[in-house]
Amino acid sequence: MLIYIARRALMAVSVLLVVLVATFLLFFAGPSDPAQAMCGELRCTPQRLEDIRRSLGTDRPVAEQFTEYFKGLAVGREIYVSGAPRTCSAPCLGFSFRTGIEVKEALATRFPNTAMLALMTMAIFLTVGISTGVLAARRRGTALDRGVVGFSQVFGSIPSYILGLLFALYTTVLYPILPRYANRSDGLGPWFVGLIAPAIILGLIYATGYVRYARASMVDTLNQDYVRTARSKGISEQKVVYRHALRAALSPVVTILGLDMAGLLSGTLVTEHIFGVDGIGKFAIESLRNDDLPIIMGTVLIGCVLVVVMNLIVDIAYSFLDPRVRLS
Amino acid sequence: MATGSDLWGVRARDRWPTRTIDDRRKRALALTMGSTTEVADDSAARATAAAATDRRSGRSPSQIAWDRLKRDKVAITSLVIVIFFILVAIFAPLLVALEGEELNKYHPELISALNTYPIIGANPQHWFGVEPRTGRDLFAVWAFGARPSLIIGFVAATFSTILGIIMGLAAGYLGGKVDKVITWIIDLLLSLPFLLMVLALVPIIQKRFAAPGEILTAEETSSIRFVVLIGILVFFGWIGLARLIRGEVLSLREREFVQAAKVIGVPTRAILFREILPNLVGPIIVSASIAVPAYITAEATLSYLGAGLVEPTPSWGRTVSNAQNAYARYPLFLWPPVLSIALLVLALSLLGEAIRDAFDPNTRR
Repeated sequence: MLIYIARRALMAVSVLLVVLVATFLLFFAGPSDPAQAMCGELRCTPQRLEDIRRSLGTDRPVAEQFTEYFKGLAVGREIYVSGAPRTCSAPCLGFSFRTGIEVKEALATRFPNTAMLALMTMAIFLTVGISTGVLAARRRGTALDRGVVGFSQVFGSIPSYILGLLFALYTTVLYPILPRYANRSDGLGPWFVGLIAPAIILGLIYATGYVRYARASMVDTLNQDYVRTARSKGISEQKVVYRHALRAALSPVVTILGLDMAGLLSGTLVTEHIFGVDGIGKFAIESLRNDDLPIIMGTVLIGCVLVVVMNLIVDIAYSFLDPRVRLS
Repeated sequence: MATGSDLWGVRARDRWPTRTIDDRRKRALALTMGSTTEVADDSAARATAAAATDRRSGRSPSQIAWDRLKRDKVAITSLVIVIFFILVAIFAPLLVALEGEELNKYHPELISALNTYPIIGANPQHWFGVEPRTGRDLFAVWAFGARPSLIIGFVAATFSTILGIIMGLAAGYLGGKVDKVITWIIDLLLSLPFLLMVLALVPIIQKRFAAPGEILTAEETSSIRFVVLIGILVFFGWIGLARLIRGEVLSLREREFVQAAKVIGVPTRAILFREILPNLVGPIIVSASIAVPAYITAEATLSYLGAGLVEPTPSWGRTVSNAQNAYARYPLFLWPPVLSIALLVLALSLLGEAIRDAFDPNTRR
């Protein structure tokens, strides 16, 4: 058990280290001048270029920059912003080139928006997906079943940003049925209500997958001997389906949920962009347009950490649920 | 180990059963592939008919799959749609000439000076109207926009399939250190948030192409973006197939015919390509056919987000992005690219699933 967890944790740490080094090399130590590259061709003044160079420390050798960068992540460091030194506590992700805000802070204020959207999306795709899937499995072979499967297949095959965009245009812009996104500072009520529209469409898109998983799993389970036994004992159909079959049928679906949870955090990226939700994804896209290097790097690092940690948690959770995992 | 690639990217291919480490997951993942009873009952009648013909003649799995595909109405309809878009892409210059227009020809005279919206709608000179502000012919933008989508989709799928085959064969057959390294790379790539990484990488890699201080022309930037995009999609795209092939090779390696070939001294390369690879044609074709719509979606999504293709290369994804704000007043701008992407990706996906069903032995019972 402990050995398994240790092995998985080691893997996670090695992945994170490589991601760190790779991002650093990509952004800082390539063949061209990152300050020039990040300065932007039109807005670049010599003053700005100099400022970026100094705050990046690209005038020093790569190895030195490298240690400085990791020192910043581990214990914090001082960074020159617009000529003046500023302390950046650990884990230091630097300061935005454009606004001068500390990247860590900027990400921390936006994280709840992304997390809330992901949670609401999950609530929607689990309820809609599983209930529809179970319904289709119980009416297997009927027109309803074929309709559900066909619809989920078609709906799930269309690129999601197209569906998201059309949904946004029709429900929040052209016919404002659903409220638009409001910042948390405008009150928690409007904020929550504003997240409903993006959560609905993202949830429905994810649900198309869960309908099919839940249906297939339920069809499988309903053909099991113990279900037949339960039926032959005279237990009501409701009880057979929901007490006996559903629990067993859901276990593979839960596995997929675990796999999806990490992906969901970046799955919200496009949705945030479309609906103007001020989350990590939208922030990353904006900073890309502004060539705001520290923010881009910070987001990529945080995104990787989230995915790796989530995967680790899911894997360890499995090793508790299913002892066979540990042996592999 | 969930994938960083997600809903928006290459998702389905990451779910081949071979990536699993235990039975529990295997069962879950088999569900996502639709390879269990679900498929079987969908086409039970077809399957019986196919099984009857199978017994009469000794045919290869590919031939059987092709015969079943020909009888699948959804597959044929999807194929017709895909061919339609391929023809549009090939004959784009001809179609646009037929309309009497050319790509990137501006018509400021058709733009209202008041609100930058066009003063005309769809008409015989401009089949899809003209673009707000610039007055470019939208039919030309649409017809030429089919090209990058399809080229990126098919080229990236070809290269990632080749890379996936090579890595999978190497990891599975050579084993040992090679296997460890490749498996580790696969796990690493799966741990990255795909879309976020690609968004960040595209502009950075693009800038690596230019000499310091050099300012690229729009055409140069555009063609560099094109190559960078394909490269990145391939870089993240081969893992699914590689893992699948690795798993298959691990079991094929121990089979009698491979052992026999080894014993009589067949060189390793011949064993790999003559003995093992022909057994993997099915999964390879299936994987490639699912990859194409995934890459087209990825290109359109990235272009929509501003990290994909740039002017002057036309791209449906970018047109959608430009058109969304003008939507309320000028829906004609948005609909052609939106419908085209949706239809093309839908047709390719359904075709991919039909191919998978056709190759799936479970539906053949």
